[in-house]
Amino acid sequence: MIKIIEKPYKSEEVIKVLDESVKEWFFSKFKEFSITQLYGIIPIHERKNILISAPTGGTKTLTAFLAIISYLVRLAKKNELENKVYCVYVSPLRALNNDIAVNLIKPLKEIENLVKKKQKMQEIRVKVRTGDTTQDEKQKMLKEAPHILITTPESLGIILSSKKFIEKLRAVEFVIIDEIHALANKRGAHLSLSLERLENISNIIPVRIGLSATISPLEEVAKFLVGFEKTKEGWKPRDCLIVEVNFLKKLDLKVLSPLKDIINTTAKEMQQALYDVVDKLIQEHKTTLIFTNTRSATERVINHLKEMFPNRYETIEETIGAHHSSLSRKHRFDIEQKLREGKLKAVVTSTSLELGIDIGYIDLVILLGSPKSVARAIQRTGRAGHKLHETSKGRIVVLDQDDLVECAVLLKEALEKKIDTVVFPKNCLDVLAQHIFGMVIQKKWKLNEMFDLIRKSYCFNELSREDFLDVISYLAGEYNLEDKNVYAKIWYDTRTNEIGRKGKLARMIYMTNIGTIPEESYVNVIIASPFERKNEKIGVIDEAFLERLKKDDVFVLGGNKYQFLYARGMNAYVNASVQRPPTIPSWFSEMLPLSFELALAIQKFRKLMEEHLKKENKDKVKEFIKKYLYVDENSCEAIYNYFHDQFLYAKIPHESKLVIEYYTDAVQGKRYVIFHSLYGRRVNDVLSRAIAYLVAKHGLRDIEIGISDNGFFLASNYNMQAEKALKLLSEKPEALRPLLEDVIEKTEIFKRRFRHCATRALMILRNYKGKNKSVGTQQMKAEFLYHVVKKISEDFPIIRETKREILEDLMDIENATLVLKWIKEGKIKIETIVVETPSPFSLNLITQGYADLMRIENKILFLRRMYEKIRKKIEVKSK
Amino acid sequence: MEILHGFKAVGKALWIKNYKTLVLTDLHIGYEEALAKEGFLVPKILAKEMKQEIKDLLKLKPKIVVINGDLKHEFGEISKQEWFDTLEILDMLLKDGRRVILVKGNHDTILGPIAKKKNLEIVDFYKLKEICFLHGHKIFLEVLDKKIKVLITGHEHPAISLREGVKQEKFKCFLLGKYKDKKTIILPSFLNFPEGTDITKEKMYSPFLRNISDFEIFVVGDKIYKFGKLKEIEKTSNFKN
Repeated sequence: MIKIIEKPYKSEEVIKVLDESVKEWFFSKFKEFSITQLYGIIPIHERKNILISAPTGGTKTLTAFLAIISYLVRLAKKNELENKVYCVYVSPLRALNNDIAVNLIKPLKEIENLVKKKQKMQEIRVKVRTGDTTQDEKQKMLKEAPHILITTPESLGIILSSKKFIEKLRAVEFVIIDEIHALANKRGAHLSLSLERLENISNIIPVRIGLSATISPLEEVAKFLVGFEKTKEGWKPRDCLIVEVNFLKKLDLKVLSPLKDIINTTAKEMQQALYDVVDKLIQEHKTTLIFTNTRSATERVINHLKEMFPNRYETIEETIGAHHSSLSRKHRFDIEQKLREGKLKAVVTSTSLELGIDIGYIDLVILLGSPKSVARAIQRTGRAGHKLHETSKGRIVVLDQDDLVECAVLLKEALEKKIDTVVFPKNCLDVLAQHIFGMVIQKKWKLNEMFDLIRKSYCFNELSREDFLDVISYLAGEYNLEDKNVYAKIWYDTRTNEIGRKGKLARMIYMTNIGTIPEESYVNVIIASPFERKNEKIGVIDEAFLERLKKDDVFVLGGNKYQFLYARGMNAYVNASVQRPPTIPSWFSEMLPLSFELALAIQKFRKLMEEHLKKENKDKVKEFIKKYLYVDENSCEAIYNYFHDQFLYAKIPHESKLVIEYYTDAVQGKRYVIFHSLYGRRVNDVLSRAIAYLVAKHGLRDIEIGISDNGFFLASNYNMQAEKALKLLSEKPEALRPLLEDVIEKTEIFKRRFRHCATRALMILRNYKGKNKSVGTQQMKAEFLYHVVKKISEDFPIIRETKREILEDLMDIENATLVLKWIKEGKIKIETIVVETPSPFSLNLITQGYADLMRIENKILFLRRMYEKIRKKIEVKSK
Repeated sequence: MEILHGFKAVGKALWIKNYKTLVLTDLHIGYEEALAKEGFLVPKILAKEMKQEIKDLLKLKPKIVVINGDLKHEFGEISKQEWFDTLEILDMLLKDGRRVILVKGNHDTILGPIAKKKNLEIVDFYKLKEICFLHGHKIFLEVLDKKIKVLITGHEHPAISLREGVKQEKFKCFLLGKYKDKKTIILPSFLNFPEGTDITKEKMYSPFLRNISDFEIFVVGDKIYKFGKLKEIEKTSNFKN
């Protein structure tokens, strides 16, 4: 059963379970137990599975370790410590050394010193094992097993298939999973199966301890942590306790609008005002952490601050730095160290500092633009004021009118403690393939034994036997893959139902290619003209995208258009003053999607706004805004104006009204159909492509698609029956998924994701025979691979997984279907308007450009049409 | 379609009716195996497809088949599969007493053993009356012979990207132009995928074909489409929008 612990234990009770010396050490350092410790220590001591959700700085790590340390110290005193791993600690953070040093190694040393004053004790060994651990260190661990093993999900996967070290894991007693909130992805799916493999190897069932920042729904997260067990009545989640210590930290969160009027203002004015605000905030505080949503924005913010305030940030002694995942490890460590030493005024980061790396005292967090989800807003803001009882101070500085509305509603949700939900991906066939390969390297398996083990994982509990057997077939080189020697990684004997490994290189291939994080490499985009901006770095595009660019192509990056001129090494040079529309879709977008729950909250606000605007004057409406949202006068005025404009000019779309806007760009002769479907990008990704497909099929022409969190548009030179297409879809919401499964293969995003899946499923080996290959090469050859695999079977497991990943993880087919149901049930009404210029609510959407292209026209038909077109032009010219 | 009087493009191959000669180039047998060695575990289907296509072409009843270079892909040792596929394709071509000429390509450095097994000679170039076949990675003095009026080459894997708005598709194509005083036809690769090198984007590989803007383009689709000169296409189409 999953059970929430309602109240904390008493301090005396907790003291009782701790070893004398551990107790003595603890109270020499702390006055009292933290609330998290009062909740958590006893259940862990009693060996119960537990999920602890608490804000950053909530002493979670020490809570998890305290009962374990106490147990180990007792053993060590009695000289009963064995040469085995007692506890495995897994964290998705790559740089966990500092955190562990503070929370584990230092306390252990201090306790040891305390004990040794009185008596002898064995040394308690703590070792870190990651991709960086040397062969030498690994050898040492074989002789002297670390009692506490610190590792990452990837390294754990490798250890589980190791020949010798596995013997040290035969009696693991505790497993700690830290930062669970960062594992709602394929890395998490991979880890969940690793946990079952670990339990299978261990003769003792290890207790599972999960640590998480603010997250929802806790019950599902708990199930993810503990997995399932097979009982007489079928599969059931294992028992788990939940501790929720959220929101005890006070939140001082506000939305700031840099200008009173953010609609009638130039981009330049807005930018100036924005950086003035940011600079002022930095100056008023000791250390500020600034979050942006993308890596490229991180660099941009630093450059602008240095340029605009050189005497403050462009000094000899560095006062500002960047911290994001594309920067080198050394650089990141440097920044973290300087932060702890209080040497920096501000650090700009994207997502890399969201997690619990120890960075010392931060007194202000600035969020530049919407963090897109309430949970993320709270996690980021939680980095300020490090101790549990202190207030976290956060300021969201908005970038435009849509951002303002979004952040204002987000603030309301955060203050009213409504957290958006996370979903863990399920039945990922590529991850499964990797694990099955790892399992057969470990030993020979019976088919059913293996299937049962896999289903213990939360992420694979609902795996169908067909899917499982298909992956086995794929790995065994069936599917008419001739010449089995190359492709088969396992053998499966249908007579004995046994599965085993194949090939001498199996272990080597597994060890060097394991992992779920797709490899991408980025190319800098640098301005070559106009002259006054020469050499300005504006961001990055990925290498595979660069390969598609042709001279003079126009593409969109960070909301601006650039004309590609030429590439030199890892730099792409562009012209920044370009008027033409984009010629190539920007499918490389790395934007964070708006959560569905937050989207609905904004929709609700829109509806209330419409009601108020219909019957009240400006003052009354503004009164409502101030009461409903927690915003200042500037923001209130801006929100009012934005909605009022839309109200007068067009219609306000909201939770029960979906507005479709028709607009023709006379200059380009291009027709736009804009859907004001504020359901977040992940839902719009689905709806836009389904509608585009139906429209394109009807007209037999390709359609351009633009997508944002607030809606999407279709564009073409021809008339589009878009409204009809939406109605057709809503008549049969359940038909959406099969339709999308067909459609998705025709999009650009599919090619890229196919490469990721083929790499995870080990059909593309990143490292093979000691050779690494560039991402560009990988992408090119993955397309060839797809071409071939598709000919073999339309239903090839990797193709199927690619579709699942796109529809469920990247996009949100479930909620998209829900929206269609709402339309069908009449909960959402469709209204259309025809406009001469785009309405205020659609401006941002239209200017951001294309995201994808729906290919419908057959290649040969396209060739014939181009032939006619070009011949005609040549003939006209020659006359 | 006739690319030049007496020279007909049939799919990706060239048919010279007067001499009953069929020309194929850049088959790159073993491409998938080479990929597998790099760690891209691509199942094999190309050779199978290729055999079917060759079978269809042999219905033209050629007396001579010229493989204009790069019969196989690998630079390194010949793999078992590659050996097997290559022999099978050569057997198909040699059937009914046909003559097979193997022109040496840059990938053919170790074609020797296979050729020897079939008693075939590998040549740097092959002259047939006024026509000269050569792969295209090197030029030979003998080729410049005044009596030679037409050069047939491969090596480039020519393909063209056609674009409209954001849409872009790549097609294989033949090129017809001039090298010195000789008409020159460049054949597309016979290998089905990838399509080849985009002539609107990339530079030519051949040392003697630097500027091809005056070359005429024949696109391979369901049939052959004569698109006109590259420079005209570039001017009129929306390559530059």
